[in-house]
Parts: sequence; C-alpha cells; structure tokens
Amino acid sequence: MLALLKDVIQRRELLGILVGRNLKIRYKNSALGFFWSLLVPLFMIVIYAVFLHVMRFTTNLPMLVVGIITWQFMSMCLGDSLHAVVGNANLITKSAFPRIMLPLSTVLANFVNFLLSGFVLVVYLLVVRADFAHVAWLPLVMLTHLALATGIALLFSTANVFFRDTEHVVSMLLLAWFFLTPVIYSDAMVLDNTGFPPSLKALFFVNPMTGIITSYRMALMGWANPGWPYLLLSLVASLAVLLAGALLFQRCQDRFGDEL
Amino acid sequence: MSEPVIQVENVSKRFRLRGMGTRTFKSAALDLLLPGRAPTREFWALREVSFAVQAGETLGIIGANGAGKSTLLSLLARTRPPTSGRLATTGTVSSLLELGAGFHPDLTGRENVFLAGAVMGIPRRIMAERFASIVAFAGIPEFIDQPVKHYSSGMYVRLGFAVAVEVNPDILLIDEVLAVGDIAFQRKCLDKMEEFRQRGKTMLIISHDLATIQSISDRILLLDGGRVTGLGRPGEIVDRYKAVVRAQQAGAMRREWGSGEIRITGVDLRDRTGQARDRFAYGDLIEADVHYEARQRIENPVFGFSVATDGGMRIYGNNTQIEGHRIPEVEGRGTLHLSLGPHTLGPGTYLLSFSVHSADHRVNYHRVDHGFPILVEGDRPFEGSYMPVQWRGP
Repeated sequence: MLALLKDVIQRRELLGILVGRNLKIRYKNSALGFFWSLLVPLFMIVIYAVFLHVMRFTTNLPMLVVGIITWQFMSMCLGDSLHAVVGNANLITKSAFPRIMLPLSTVLANFVNFLLSGFVLVVYLLVVRADFAHVAWLPLVMLTHLALATGIALLFSTANVFFRDTEHVVSMLLLAWFFLTPVIYSDAMVLDNTGFPPSLKALFFVNPMTGIITSYRMALMGWANPGWPYLLLSLVASLAVLLAGALLFQRCQDRFGDEL
Repeated sequence: MSEPVIQVENVSKRFRLRGMGTRTFKSAALDLLLPGRAPTREFWALREVSFAVQAGETLGIIGANGAGKSTLLSLLARTRPPTSGRLATTGTVSSLLELGAGFHPDLTGRENVFLAGAVMGIPRRIMAERFASIVAFAGIPEFIDQPVKHYSSGMYVRLGFAVAVEVNPDILLIDEVLAVGDIAFQRKCLDKMEEFRQRGKTMLIISHDLATIQSISDRILLLDGGRVTGLGRPGEIVDRYKAVVRAQQAGAMRREWGSGEIRITGVDLRDRTGQARDRFAYGDLIEADVHYEARQRIENPVFGFSVATDGGMRIYGNNTQIEGHRIPEVEGRGTLHLSLGPHTLGPGTYLLSFSVHSADHRVNYHRVDHGFPILVEGDRPFEGSYMPVQWRGP
C-alpha cells in the first residue's frame, strides 16, 4: 500500500507525461478537440431535458446540468479505465515502471477535462444566479469524487486484464448505476416518496454517487438537504472502494506482463 | 575481478497455457465448477537458470527460437516476475526488448522521446539535456515534430535505439535489434555498443547473428529449452551451438527405411587419433565405426555410404561391393570400419548416409539417409569436392 503511494510520488513526472499523453491522444485528429467533452454532456442535457419535459416530470435545469456534468466524469473514468492497462500492453510487456500510473493517469486526464467543463458549469450557474452559499464544501466533494473514481478505475482496469467480459458488464452496469443515482432526478424524489420503505432509502445512500451528486448540488446550488452527513457517508464508502482497488491492483500487477 | 552487477540464481519461469487465449467469466466459472476440465498446460520457458555478469562485461545470449532468451531479458527488465529464483541487478537498466516499444503513433517524435524517458524514470531535465544528441543519433531532425505514425520503420527503430542508448544506463539489455535497420544504422549501433563497452557499461545481447555476437561478446550464454547448456568463451560456445543446430538440421533431413533383417544401429565418427568428433579440417581422415545388428544370418551383405550437401544433394557415394571388400556373412551385433579420406570437401556442413543391402540390390535391409552431419572447416571456400585445377591465360 505504502509502496504504491511511494511509487506515485517518486514518479510524478511520468504521471504528468502520461496524463498529457492521454489528453493529447483523445482529441488528436478531431476538429472540435476539447469541445467534445462539453458537447457530449450538452447533448445529454438537451435530450434528458426534452424527455423529462415531454413525460411531464417536474424538473429543474440547473439540477440536471450539475447532475450530468458530474456524472460524466465518473462514467468517462470507468469507461477509460477498462483500457488503461489492456490498451498499454506494449508498454507493460516491454518496460518496467509502476503500473499504477496507467489507471491513475486516465483518471487524472478525465479530471482535467472535468475541471474544464466544471469551469463552464460555474459560468452557467452564475448566469442563472445559483446560490453558492455552501461552496466551501466543494473541495471535499471533489476529493470524494476523485477517490471513488480512482478506486473504480483500479478495480476495473485490473479486472479487464483477466476477464475481457468486463467491458460488456461495465456497459450494463453503467446504465443501471446511472438510473440508481440521482443524476436526472433529485434525492428528494426518493426520500419524499412514501412508497419506499426506509431500508430501501438507506440502500439508496449506500451508493456513494448519491451523496456525491447531491453534495455537488448543495455546494453549487445552495441546497440544504439532506445535509452533510451524506457526504461523509459517501467519503467513507469511496475510501473503502479506493482501498479495495489499491489492494487488488497491488496483488495483481505483477501478473499483467504474463497476461497481456 | 569486479563485483557482479547482474546475479541470476536458480531462476525458473512458468507460463500457463490455457486452451483459449483470454480468460473469460465463463471459463473461470467452469474452471471452478469442473476442476480437471481442460487442464491448463504448463510451459517452462526457463528452468533453474543461474549466472552472474561482472560490471563492464558484455554477455551474448544465443539459442534457438523458444529457448527462453527473450523471457530471460524480460525478467531482468522486470516486466515479468520469475516463478522461482532470484534476480538482482545493480544500477540503472535500460532495455531494448523491442525498438520503439511504447511509442504512441499519434504523438510526435519529441513527445515520444520524453514519454520513453519518463517511463524509464529519467528526469525531464536530463532528457532535455540529451535531447539534441538523441535526435542527432537517430538522424531525423526534420521529422522530430511529426507524429511517429508517419515515420518509416527505419526512422522508428533509429529513434527507439537512440533513446535507449542515450539515457546512459549502467546495464543495457538488447533483444535482437541488430537485425533491423539498414547496414549504415547497424554499423552505427555496433559502434555505439563498442563505445558502451569502452565506458565500462554492462550489456546483455540476444542475437541470431552469430558472427557479430561472437565478436562483441566477452562471454556467451547458450540456452536450450530454457536451460543453460553453455557459458564461456564466445568461440567455444558458438561452435557448440552450431553443432546443436547441425544435429537438429540433420534430424529434420533424416530418413530411414528398410526390411530390417540387418539394422544400422549407430555410427561413431572419429578423427585420425580416435577422438570422437564431427568437425574436420580440409584433408582430414574421417574414421567411421558403423554398428549393425543382424536378426538372422545374412550372406554377402553390401554396406554403402554417401556424402550429401546440407541441402541433401548427393556428391559422393560408394560401397563395399564396388571397392571389392567382401563380407561373407553377418549375424548378431558387429561393427564395420570405414576410413574415408583424406577428404577433399570444401568448407560447410555435409550429411553422411549409411545403408546395407543384399548383393543383388534386390533387398534393402536398412538405410539411414542424412543421419550423420559433419562440419568441414577450411580457409579456401570452394564448393563441393576439390579437384586439382590449373588456370591459364588470358
């Protein structure tokens, strides 16, 4: 565990170069380049806004925008992590370097993208005069989000080395997770629904993304409910995922060279 | 003697070969539910390999394809863990397991150089200092800011080699890279490796180019089937390897058939002094003991032999009948002696065949074609069997 951390700190230059490589490659040869990381969520927002409107759901555009942009970071990390190790087989089999740099660099490259789209998000929220009363919590929310994304990336980048079925499982898993997380709806819709038993509501908040997205809305839109304990719950769950991911990765990384 | 910088102790490497390429959930589940289903085959790429390399030494590694050479280098480069045993290296290691491995086609030459440096753990500051000499060595200044996917394969490998040698490692691992690039670049690589040697760096080199590896190595390690079958002076080990290859070649060409009343059970080749050998100089006497076994009493058998090139073309054949050596009868085991020479063969590999048949040529008892390879060494590289020549004019 400590060895992994030491590797990361000692070889941060490699991490920086890999992050830069990931960003460059993603938009190489595309005319719109970085704007795609804005256009994709924008299209999703438009589609869901129209869908929710047509289906006569009560919705709120800033809430939808915050939800989709923050969800996008998670879904991109998960998707990219599948190829973080497998897609760099030639590096792994031909050179020795801390393998953890590969999933870590895909997460950080997506994080850079997320920060850029987050900047556009903040401009939008200023335009619609959102309430930034609780913005001081934002760093902790982002840290929780980053920890969860890293943990997930470590788990799935490792799993895909040994089981290529992971890719198919992930596309289904992402879809289910998307609807189980308050991305296009609010946590209140679940909490206030008297039809759900309390145990089911508790389960809803075990999903760390519930607390994370709700906390983003608290920090960026001044929402007061359901309160910060949910963020702490998410933080604990995210750190647990991160720990599990790091342990799995450390156990399996020596075998990457033979499997690829 | 200085301290060893590479120590390999009892290293073995096992690969598990599964029925189908990648493991899937289905196969994992089936393996759990039905142990014993489609047993995973094991393959030992290296078995109990031990050796040490001193600082400043150049060790050549030779062996047939699949002997474990590349696996050995990948263990030393630490891209795979050994299954058992211990490897220790002192100092920085740069590996050329594949030229330009890890280059990304969409990145420019410049970006790839810094990426490769970072992968090897060279600080950016130092890479920036060496950048000019890397570009100069690769000889592609005008293309350095182009994506490497537009490079010719020669430019690609030149840049890969340049990065690996210019990072100035203490130990350089090179896997069969002399085979790529044009003659000029190969010359440049050899010069660079010579310069490395003079600066007291340690190198491990895999190559199938035996002449080159013999000339640049201090010692040579011979691997066969994952085991060390030789480690020592280059000339000696290369000769031993060539003998192994000859035996294998002959094995592939070898044919035997016959009715079996008499069988040729073996042939021992010796020199004039009675020493067993399969290498002869021009003009040497080749002595052969032909061992046979007759299941029943056979009268007037005829023993014959022939000499063929390594391609199987017969250049000389003769037998006891033609030479008037009458054998009244044979029964049980026995040995026939043949003195051949002084021979007049040119340098190269030749395949000897032996046969035994009836006096009227109707029954072929046993025939072993191309079963016994010999190597002829000589400084006059004429072809075939020598005949006196005299040139006149013009």
